[in-house]
Amino acid sequence: MNNSTLMKQLAAIGMVALTAATASLAASAALAAPTAKTIQVMSVKDGDAASPQAAIWEKAPAAQVALQPAFPGHSSIVGTPVTEKLVAQAICLGDQLYVKLAWIDRTANTVIGDTNKFADGAAVQFPVNGKSTTTPFMGDANNAVNVWQWRADGRTQNLLAKGFSTAMTVPSEGLKSASVRTDSGWAVVLSRPLKVKPDEGANLLGKSTMPIAFAAWDGENEERDGLKAVTLEWWQLRF
Amino acid sequence: MSKRQLAYVFDLNKCIGCHTCTMACKTLWTDRGGREYMYWNNVETHPGRGYPMNWQQKGGGFKNGVLQTDGKIPPMEAYGAAWKYNFAETLLEGKSDRVVPHEKPTYGPNWDEDEGAGEFPNSRYFYLPRICNHCSNPACLAACPNKAIYKREEDGLVVIDQERCRGYRYCVKACPYGKVYFNLQTQKSEKCIGCYPRVEKGEAPACVKQCTGRIRFWGYRDDKNGPIHKLVDQWKIALPLHAEYGTQPNVFYVPPMNVTPPPFEEDGRLSSAPRIPIADIEALFGPRTKEALDTLGREMQKRREAKPSELTDILIGFTNKDRYGI
Repeated sequence: MNNSTLMKQLAAIGMVALTAATASLAASAALAAPTAKTIQVMSVKDGDAASPQAAIWEKAPAAQVALQPAFPGHSSIVGTPVTEKLVAQAICLGDQLYVKLAWIDRTANTVIGDTNKFADGAAVQFPVNGKSTTTPFMGDANNAVNVWQWRADGRTQNLLAKGFSTAMTVPSEGLKSASVRTDSGWAVVLSRPLKVKPDEGANLLGKSTMPIAFAAWDGENEERDGLKAVTLEWWQLRF
Repeated sequence: MSKRQLAYVFDLNKCIGCHTCTMACKTLWTDRGGREYMYWNNVETHPGRGYPMNWQQKGGGFKNGVLQTDGKIPPMEAYGAAWKYNFAETLLEGKSDRVVPHEKPTYGPNWDEDEGAGEFPNSRYFYLPRICNHCSNPACLAACPNKAIYKREEDGLVVIDQERCRGYRYCVKACPYGKVYFNLQTQKSEKCIGCYPRVEKGEAPACVKQCTGRIRFWGYRDDKNGPIHKLVDQWKIALPLHAEYGTQPNVFYVPPMNVTPPPFEEDGRLSSAPRIPIADIEALFGPRTKEALDTLGREMQKRREAKPSELTDILIGFTNKDRYGI
């Protein structure tokens, strides 16, 4: 993680009150060994990984991913997200990457059925340039990030962002999702071809490692946008 | 800040609560596409809960220049769903002997029409027509993390870029007037657009043009010959609604004066006090209310004495050009 970039971003958005949070972030970054936050991608030639209930997921290595409140990035984003952790797995099957996320969420918010309701969600994020030097906080003007966002109301979106407040939907036919309710929450699989057109997102083909970040939104807690639980630094997918 | 600013003056002494403005807006913009429940223009009875329900307690706006994050997002029940009636069953198929809604309505725009406050025979109310205030300091714009809301450079109208909006509803939360709505069908927020496609053709907004009471004045703030400048800045009798919300609204109101007869005293004689307490009106339009009403009263008295009054002539608004400045 690039702390100087983070500090510049915080200064730019006037988040002066976040000094303590930044200090703790710096400490956690210092403690984290470069190889500690790794998710081993299981490579298989055939099989079915599209469903979160597929048997193949029992064999894929699982990583326990701790989540923290995201930097809000805007003064209207207030509140504390409730999701504390998720379990992440990844399978490379042919030319597709499948990422499975599972987390605790006691209330299924699957439809935005009222003007004041919000849906559960989850997302993975990649730096478009494939480099960990890209800030994981939605990227910046020169370093875009690609977000695959699942929402419990069935809307899965491919997003590109160049910093806070810049996320835009970019069509990507290859991005798919599947989800199930578990005893305690959600299990979701997001999948996409490793290679896409340059303007559709991050290219994953031929990578030995790829930075990845995670986010979860609890609709019951009115979580949306920057009110989310996230990884504050990149994890590494190891192919 | 936009280069120019369109603004409105609504003369509450002329509003007859006919809702023609509401219907003009409804039929032009909000009768389809997930907007059916929305009333970008509404006319509410004051005192009353208003639309959306209890919007004056919804929070939002600014305090000391700081965007407030305590605003509420009204649920559908605070607006009232766009219920439908069993017209076909009753009128065509003979299956019912009365026209009733398919669902039991529990609230809606103008739900408490003409109820007001006070005890008979001294009950009181007046009509309060409301649209987006196209504020100079819009809380909705400030609250949007995705920069989807902007003021049009050429006329200051506040609009939501439907391409950029991601349906987060911080704008709905932040608007202290309850004038931003969430479209459940498109999953994006929407609001009064000031009829900009009409404006671009040199035409007044539908709600303004259709007003049968001719209570609505409209034009650019900086047009010194136009009615807005004269009523707001020159005569100072048109005041913003809840200026304390800090958004610098561009809809101004001529406060109500003697829209109802004086109240009755215990012995049945008419009182010399106004039926609507000044505090009621000041609660909406602030401390300059009395000054504005004094000016208005003074000018109206001139006319009663058959003396000329530029102000009452402006307020009568004989022609469209007089009222719109175009």
